[in-house]
Amino acid sequence: MYISGYDNYYARTYRILSNIIISPPPAESADEVRYDEHMIRSVAHPQSSAWHRAHLARHRRAWVLMAGVVIAVAFLLVSGYFKGVSWPTLGMAVVNTPYRLALAYGIALMLGVSLALLVGWSPFADALFPVFDILQNIPSFALIPLFIYFFGYTTQMIILFAISSIVWPILFSILTAIKNAHRDLNDAATIFGARGFRRIFAYLAPLSLPAILTGSIVGIAIGWESVIGAEIIVNNISGFGAFIRSAGISGINQSAIAGIFVILIIVFAVNRMVWAPLLVESSRRYAE
Amino acid sequence: MPHESPEMALVFSRVSARFDDEGDKSVSVLKEVSFSIPTGSFMSLIGPSGSGKSTLMRVLLGLMPHENGTIVRNFSRSAMVFQNYALFPWLSALDNVAFGLRMEGMPRKERERIAREKLQEVGLEHLEKHYPAALSGGQRQRVGLARALAIAPDLLIMDEPFSNLDTITVEALKTDLLKIWRNYGMTILMVNHLIPDAIELSDQIIVMGAHPGCIKETISINLPRPRDPRSERFFKEVDYLTSIIRSVS
Repeated sequence: MYISGYDNYYARTYRILSNIIISPPPAESADEVRYDEHMIRSVAHPQSSAWHRAHLARHRRAWVLMAGVVIAVAFLLVSGYFKGVSWPTLGMAVVNTPYRLALAYGIALMLGVSLALLVGWSPFADALFPVFDILQNIPSFALIPLFIYFFGYTTQMIILFAISSIVWPILFSILTAIKNAHRDLNDAATIFGARGFRRIFAYLAPLSLPAILTGSIVGIAIGWESVIGAEIIVNNISGFGAFIRSAGISGINQSAIAGIFVILIIVFAVNRMVWAPLLVESSRRYAE
Repeated sequence: MPHESPEMALVFSRVSARFDDEGDKSVSVLKEVSFSIPTGSFMSLIGPSGSGKSTLMRVLLGLMPHENGTIVRNFSRSAMVFQNYALFPWLSALDNVAFGLRMEGMPRKERERIAREKLQEVGLEHLEKHYPAALSGGQRQRVGLARALAIAPDLLIMDEPFSNLDTITVEALKTDLLKIWRNYGMTILMVNHLIPDAIELSDQIIVMGAHPGCIKETISINLPRPRDPRSERFFKEVDYLTSIIRSVS
């Protein structure tokens, strides 16, 4: 079987998205409304009420499990397990790493969205797909030495490297959404006047919104890995990666574990409280 | 014979079209198609799948190139109603209807006034804030019709607009469509898959054959309007058209 960067992207998307999607309940009214085979469907959106029930149950179990984790951490804290942990350093890491990630995400979002819309709008989209397929096959960490060569062991390097890994899922999900848009919807946009540059803002951009959302979720999940990984490599810097690394090297395992718990809680909270509601909103709005 | 004349809204003359299939194979989807639609008339296309009905519409709208032949477009504006509605899911019913006018650069107030008017015409003024996902199939198709009417087309193209809808909805929509056609006097070209529907609505019916798509027969329906689909003459037309379609497929 031919596996492209594209399929690779899908496997990752599915893994990350299925973890945080809560599907909205199926349409109230409607018999034919949601299940009509001619309807236009968007990416990664719920298909049936059985799907909905399964994922809701999964979602609840995750909350329960997470509550258990928080209780366990609190218990360890009270029992004095985390005594040797340098909390101010960890506190700075809590600020710095997400800040780098946010910056990288912001730039990758602008870059990815504008590039994807331009490519999707241009008549060369089909020709450019294989190019992106190949580029996206490069494991991002293989690029770290190159980034270090150009930018040294600096914060800029971390951010630029993170951008280079976050931009792909955003780019791909938008290109996919544009490519998979129903032909009739495309035709409707053309017939009713969405031509030339106007097509980008009136048709392609709103069409891509759910894809921008899912691409962002996947991108940020990858971005955490990139930023922390790069921080571990850069080391001499304030951030989760460097914190965990120095804790590991100096043998203070409690510090490393405390760091991991803090990241876990932050990522979980952001996923459930920011992305999940946005996904629900987008699937409700874009469901057809 | 099709000929160029001012009373014709559209003339196809020996138009052929091909699809580029995978690789270098290309499939002929329309072969030497010739027909003409008198201005203001209601024309139906009927034929088996693979007869290139959708291709014909896309060629006619310039969404797809044709290989050879001549197309004379004697209309200033065309709009289309789709089988699967093709409404923009991110826009409310009102914004969907106003989409074409927005693309022309009409100011918001003006275009919303017109869009409301059109929604009223299709009986959906109370649903203007609803998004397509919250509308039933019949309601979506009405929004689709209002969106087409909003840009004041003189040629309205409809691609199997009723085939996803239940019979009761279709009856109501047909009545409204005929009313709209009478009021606006535009030319209508509709792909239809039900013989009685085609006979009830059309002035002329083009019967197409498949692989490659070509025109087998053009039939004029001379029944007086409003048409009674249970009259003897109506049944005779149905039988006649059925026999023709049997003979071509």
